[in-house]
Amino acid sequence: MKDTTVLARCNLYAVLGAIPHLLYLDPDAAALVRGKNIRVGFSVKNGPKATLIFKDGEAEMVKGIEKCSIKLWFPSAEKFNSMIDGKGSPIPVSGFQHIGFLLGAFTKLTDSLSAYLRPEPEKLQDPAFFERSTTLMLYVIGRAIVQIGNHDRVGMFSASHITDGKIKLGIGDTLAVAIHCKDHHLVFNAFPNDCGVTSQMVFDSLQTARDLFDGNINAIAAVGMGQVRVSGMISQVDNVNRILDRVAIYLA
Amino acid sequence: MHKINTYEKSREAFARAVRVIPSGIYGHQGPAEGCYIPVEAFPLYSSKADGTYLWDLDGNRFIDYMCAYGPNILGYHDPDVDAAAARQRAISDCTTLPNTVMIDFADLLVDTVASADWAFFAKNGGDTTTLAIMTARAYTHRKKIVFFKGYYHGVAPWTQKIDYAGVIEEDVMHNLYCEWNNFEQLAELFDTYKGEIAAVIAQPYMHGNFMDNHLPADGFWKKVRGLCTANDTVLIVDDVRAGFRLDLAGSDHYFGFEADLICFCKALANGYNVSALCGKDFLKNTVSSMSYTGSYWMSAVPFAAGIACIEKMRKLELPRLLMEKGTKLADGLRSAASKYGFDLRVTGAPSLFYLRIADDPSLRLHQEWIAECVLRGVFFTNHHNHFINAALTDADIAETVEVADEAFGVIRERHPR
Repeated sequence: MKDTTVLARCNLYAVLGAIPHLLYLDPDAAALVRGKNIRVGFSVKNGPKATLIFKDGEAEMVKGIEKCSIKLWFPSAEKFNSMIDGKGSPIPVSGFQHIGFLLGAFTKLTDSLSAYLRPEPEKLQDPAFFERSTTLMLYVIGRAIVQIGNHDRVGMFSASHITDGKIKLGIGDTLAVAIHCKDHHLVFNAFPNDCGVTSQMVFDSLQTARDLFDGNINAIAAVGMGQVRVSGMISQVDNVNRILDRVAIYLA
Repeated sequence: MHKINTYEKSREAFARAVRVIPSGIYGHQGPAEGCYIPVEAFPLYSSKADGTYLWDLDGNRFIDYMCAYGPNILGYHDPDVDAAAARQRAISDCTTLPNTVMIDFADLLVDTVASADWAFFAKNGGDTTTLAIMTARAYTHRKKIVFFKGYYHGVAPWTQKIDYAGVIEEDVMHNLYCEWNNFEQLAELFDTYKGEIAAVIAQPYMHGNFMDNHLPADGFWKKVRGLCTANDTVLIVDDVRAGFRLDLAGSDHYFGFEADLICFCKALANGYNVSALCGKDFLKNTVSSMSYTGSYWMSAVPFAAGIACIEKMRKLELPRLLMEKGTKLADGLRSAASKYGFDLRVTGAPSLFYLRIADDPSLRLHQEWIAECVLRGVFFTNHHNHFINAALTDADIAETVEVADEAFGVIRERHPR
């Protein structure tokens, strides 16, 4: 059911890809890398490659591993996925002088990310933590949808039924991500505006979004209750939802 | 100005339902699959129905253009059908031995449906499409089935797709897909899978959801029929949705060809629960050899209702009547749209028309208009074809057009040119 290379793509581009959002949302996380100017490259043999660029307390992820300060190499997608699961350590193949960053600030950062994405139930009682955690989940899910829709065999089947357009996934009036579809290829947009939106699925609150992400309420029932609103080209939302079902398989 | 409906009681009932029923109302009659956008514009439960009207829990009356998604063809509570059902209920219904009314119904279907040499009864459309596929595979000893993209043939795993919940790869690994009206693509599939294709299954024309409906291109069915015959492939027409609204002799007859197997349900008994697979003589022995049955499949009341329904449809020359009513309605709706500068597309057969406002490719304008119609008592739905029934009067059509006009006015005010 799961393709390990697709899982590696999800882990790299969606999970680690959420680190820039983490720094934006959590001042404590941002403080860990303040003043650091470093590029961490991830290279998975026969799999994805990307670089996290840390600069001035912010970060961005770019594809490829050119010009990285420290390069982490993984002999297989399985090894990379194990590392994300906390069952293995990365092997630096260059930039050994930055090992301190890797073992210090970077490890604390990924621990913080894990705390938000796999939270202890009691931590969710803190409204600020709850909001950050749910917001980060939206970013991770949005990015994972793109990876699965573009690379997973079943996900690609779903994407093959998505017409060109911009599908907005939102929480309330203020938070949204978008999936752009062109010729059945999906691209993630973390900061969409409403221009050109062809369909949307909007959760009425962080709580509804959280309950759906955690599988505590049913999306179909939530639509009936008005907690989830869909409109526009419904077949787009329908097929994105089918990919969303596979996100749960990959990242649960 | 028409009154604007509110649905407090429907909402309360739905809140009660979600506690004990998965998703509250599952399937196509639920607010999610039914595309009730926004959900507040739509009623969720009915309290009664009569003729062409449906009343919701809050007492709002609707001119119902969904007709229970097809079964209501003569009008809810048709007196002749209900009387026949009541007479049979007084005699027997679900019993150890079937009643001979079953034979009478089969005789009538064979006499009515041009391609039918026999009839096999079940309950839902999906029972018959599944039996049709099994029959084709049993007869041909082949595995592959060709579908036309945009199809709907029920909810059994073989009818779904690999990305649907609960469907495994093995359920759909022998499904082949082809574009509607693309004979060359179909012929290529037959070349690629020579001697492997058990059946082609298709609705008589493309009345898929979320898209304008498309009638068959000139000569398309004749060529498909020829290709199937030349390759010993069974041609299955799924007439569950369109059956009896185009032609009482079957929609294959309407389009000038003969299916090997044809599936009926919906309008077969004006809402009484029965479906039928009809077929050519050469497949009768194959069907006889199959293990296929259900607890209520030989209940007599729906057979009696079906007989009364078909007899009345014949008497009324119903397809012609429904086409006339549908055409009158479509003309009125298009005219109302045009008055406000909207391009309303009405596609498919007039007796089961599909609506789309073409001015906005995202369809949100269309969804807003549908919502305004429903709020004013005309039950349209967003992205599914609609159905005409015999009880719909000229006055109902006029009222519908008035409501549509008012709704277009609201939308135009909201979205000025």
